[in-house]
Amino acid sequence: MISALAMIVLRDWGCHKLRLGLTTAGIALGVAAFFAIQTTNEALVGSLNGTIEKLAGKATLQAAAGNAGFSFDAIKAVRSTPGVKIAEPVTETLAATTLGETRLLILGLDTASDLQLYNTAAERPELVIKNPLVFSSRKDSVAITTKLADRFGIKDGDRITVETSSGPAVLTIRGLFTASGIGDVYDGNVAVMDIYSAQATFGRGNRIDRIDISTADGADVDAVQAELVARLGPGIDVVRPDLRGKSLENSVTTMHAGFTILSIVALMIGVFIIFNSFTISVNQRWKDIAILRSIGVERRGIKLMFLSEAVILGAIGSCLGIAAGLAISMAAMGLVTRITATVYGIASATPELRFEPGYAAAAFAIGIVSSVIAAWVPARAAASLDPAAALRNIETRRSEPRMNRLRLAAGAALVAAGLLGVKFTPPGIDSYVQSTYSFMIQFGMIMLLPAIITVGGLVLRPVMDRLFGAEGVIAVETMARSPRRTAATVGAIMIGLTFAISNASLIQSLKMAIDHSLDKALAADIVITSSEQLSSRSNHFSEAVAASIASMDEVEAADQIRITTTRMNDREVALLAHDMSEFFRISPDLLDSGDPARARELTSRGEGVIISNNLAFRSNLKLGDSLTIRSPKGDVELPIVGMLDYYRSEHGTIFLERALYRQYWDDPDVDYIFIDLKPGVDRQAFKAKAAAAIAGTRRAFIYTHEEYKQFAGGVIDRFFLLMYMQTIIAIAVAAIGLVNTMLISVAERKRELGIFRAIGGLRRQVVKMVLLEAAAISMVGFAAGALTSLLNTYFLINTAAKVVAGFRLPFHFSFWLLGLAIPAVIVMAMISAWLPARNAARLEVADAIGYE
Amino acid sequence: MNEIIVSLENVCKIFDGAARVTALDGVGLEVPRGQRVSVMGPSGSGKSTLLNIVCGLDVPTSGRVLINGSDLAAMSDDDRTRLRREQIGMIFQTFNLMPTLNGVENVALPLRLCGMSGNEAADRAAAMLERVGLSGRGSHRPDEMSGGERQRVAIARALIFDPPLLLADEPTGNLDSATGDEILKLLEDVHNEFGTSMILVTHNENAAAICERRIDLLDGRIVSDTLRSPK
Ligand SMILES: Nc1ncnc2c1ncn2[C@@H]1O[C@H](COP(=O)(O)OP(=O)(O)OP(=O)(O)O)[C@@H](O)[C@H]1O
Ligand SMILES: [Mg+2]
Repeated sequence: MISALAMIVLRDWGCHKLRLGLTTAGIALGVAAFFAIQTTNEALVGSLNGTIEKLAGKATLQAAAGNAGFSFDAIKAVRSTPGVKIAEPVTETLAATTLGETRLLILGLDTASDLQLYNTAAERPELVIKNPLVFSSRKDSVAITTKLADRFGIKDGDRITVETSSGPAVLTIRGLFTASGIGDVYDGNVAVMDIYSAQATFGRGNRIDRIDISTADGADVDAVQAELVARLGPGIDVVRPDLRGKSLENSVTTMHAGFTILSIVALMIGVFIIFNSFTISVNQRWKDIAILRSIGVERRGIKLMFLSEAVILGAIGSCLGIAAGLAISMAAMGLVTRITATVYGIASATPELRFEPGYAAAAFAIGIVSSVIAAWVPARAAASLDPAAALRNIETRRSEPRMNRLRLAAGAALVAAGLLGVKFTPPGIDSYVQSTYSFMIQFGMIMLLPAIITVGGLVLRPVMDRLFGAEGVIAVETMARSPRRTAATVGAIMIGLTFAISNASLIQSLKMAIDHSLDKALAADIVITSSEQLSSRSNHFSEAVAASIASMDEVEAADQIRITTTRMNDREVALLAHDMSEFFRISPDLLDSGDPARARELTSRGEGVIISNNLAFRSNLKLGDSLTIRSPKGDVELPIVGMLDYYRSEHGTIFLERALYRQYWDDPDVDYIFIDLKPGVDRQAFKAKAAAAIAGTRRAFIYTHEEYKQFAGGVIDRFFLLMYMQTIIAIAVAAIGLVNTMLISVAERKRELGIFRAIGGLRRQVVKMVLLEAAAISMVGFAAGALTSLLNTYFLINTAAKVVAGFRLPFHFSFWLLGLAIPAVIVMAMISAWLPARNAARLEVADAIGYE
Repeated sequence: MNEIIVSLENVCKIFDGAARVTALDGVGLEVPRGQRVSVMGPSGSGKSTLLNIVCGLDVPTSGRVLINGSDLAAMSDDDRTRLRREQIGMIFQTFNLMPTLNGVENVALPLRLCGMSGNEAADRAAAMLERVGLSGRGSHRPDEMSGGERQRVAIARALIFDPPLLLADEPTGNLDSATGDEILKLLEDVHNEFGTSMILVTHNENAAAICERRIDLLDGRIVSDTLRSPK
């Protein structure tokens, strides 16, 4: 019996190679996406952790204080702590050089020591400075990696120019070190200077960024850590390097979450395609099944036949998918590395790809399980087929039940539950829980699809009749009468559109919010920054440079700003030190709540702080509450006197007086200067003049208000590049689904199309009919997609933005993109339906209406 | 107007499949306008093949086919399709209605395919359904009709252009004898009213009896051709 059924399946495969190919491809696509995304993600996180580990060398603990750095004096306290074996001070500077586009990570180390913390093997040390005395006594000494040297053909004794706070500085290469260990990070874009020289060159004064600590053998690391925390005081964090990796990992969570959603979407669409193919397979074999049943095969046997077929195809598809996934992740890795480079501002080597047997096994299992799930419903339909009815003619084949009340009710309930969840969830709920709201909405909509298709058919029928005549009517009827076949494609188009439009809407809302916020809180005529990147580990303006710009004749008001971070409840909160009085003078309208006059008064005296609304939302703070900020010189406790929408950090932003900041953090640097010009001064003219004044001393980026807003928009676009990628994948998959459905629709209706031709339908009219059916499907998909994307935009703006990051965004729906989607969807439908339509037109009429 | 509506000259049809099958072997046949011809013969003798070739769904391996004086081989596929639509009505054993359309829409389909407006086509289709005795069932889909009703719809569809030629392949083969006789009665009425020529493939003596000429096929050859007065 089994072998007989197996033979029937194999014969069927031989006859329907196209369907077989599409099914296998569907499984492979889903599995490939899942596997590629997991592998890429793993490699990225791995390389991130690797970077941190390599930079930390053999350190078991690290002391650091946000981006501001802390006093060198702390080294004494560390070294005298029991259990500490070695403690090395480190400065880190990201500097632009004459060596090309990417920046160089310049580490300031105590080169007079043996640097054993950074050398893994004592016999073959990676980091050696040949002549440490000469190296450290000459302030312009720098050592670079052999990799970097090879890339640019640099030899010992050559000179390179680097940007510093006080202008370009010429450094002399006095040593090369191997590009392994510490020299292996950032694709070898690493240099080492003596720490004193680095402090002097980069205007760091007495400050360092980090102390790398190795504990004595046998010492209790936790105890040493606790003791160090006590000795160093509140402004300095002491963490294990791997934990530091964790927090960096958090900063790529947006990317990670994007990846995860992407893989789930790919998988869902894969399941769709499989489901589709199996439904067709059942439909194509309607009569075979009926015959098998009538000659005595039990229901169980039929079901078994289809499910075993699913397992076999699942296995083949999964293997192909894993192979394809590996290839995709290789390609993706290069792309993601480039994205990280533009977002975070430093190049890194493309991470090494590892084949993870665990992920492969998971992907394989997922492929088989999804195949079986997708084949389940068609297999059940096949098994419960009424053989007597099926053996009669096509006219007798009852149309599919259109609406299952229970399913409709469940779908509507899911959508409602998702929306209510979005509306009433308080802050602090896990973001994975919250992402289920979006799934509920989308899944509920999928359950409603048969109803949407039926209604769509009713609406489209008269329209298509009017516009396209009989072919239009048949096209709409064909679509509406088999909701099961159509639903998968309508669903794929719906989800593709939902991704495209709700992502675009979110980005648009964010841009609008930022635009509005920049108008309110950054009403300056001119913005001057020391770095193109939004991170601040790079160059800063020295006090003198900043002061010289601020005192130019045309300047009416100048606010000098230092941007750093501070830890609060284990999160990196942005800390912005402004000249508060000038800040209010340039942007008088900056506050959303709080009395501006009083806030200006108190903050400029260092007796109050302003915070962003999202910090208030996340930490449950109100106006008048007292806020404690940890600094290297102890806690600063100030009342909150004002709040505003500000989008710099998803963890929140604190504004305080720069004088106060200097006092507590010992840091006179400046990153940004906001300038208001005297009445009548031309912005472009001033921009040119300021550029000329700064030129030669250092690099600066000067923007007018509008240009700065544009620049901020560009940064957002780059950050959301991954979302655009998601959209493209979703749309491609929808197109594959449409080709599949149309091929199937044509194959299934071979006989019907034959009759159509026999009674006088021209080939051209057959083509028109098939194309119109694709158009009808895509229009219904478009309608469903428009509705779903509206709901999903609501989710993204409320949950993704507000509850996760605390951002209040205006609700903006991207109608222009929706409008643009209409022609796009129709063109996609026409292209996808072209091949099936041609197949239909070439049909052998006499064969098609033959009696079997 | 040509007085010979169908003319086959030495038509051969060979199927080159796994095995070579000669389905028609030198068939010559002339059907004058208005004549009814029954075609009989055992299964596999080439009856359906003959009909397919007459209506241009299939092309002969050799020989000539003239419909109303025009050579099918000289026509484009589109012209043959239009000829089928407007000059030839076709009825099948298995009815072959479009499952997604209701009765009226099925009958109106050929009209709409050549561009008639929906309303006008529907009116004419409804009139034709009334003519074949199916006035009340036009809004039902095929799966909601009995076999006899379906065949009436199919006949109405075949007649919608008043074609001079009607081809039927075992039109009563799927019907019980009473219903079959009703359908035959309907075909007779049609002939009396419109003077339609018919080629009727059948295994049924009753069906053959309504025709004035009878042809017997065996192994793709005409083995007898008799004229007599219809019953
Ligand atoms: N498409 C085809 N390919 C190969 N052989 C065919 C094809 N169509 C018909 N034949 C063969 O041609 C011969 C005549 O077939 P045809 O269908 O005309 O018979 P028929 O007289 O209509 O039989 P029945 O009374 O059973 O309907 C048969 O031997 C059949 O096997
Ligand atoms: Mg036959």
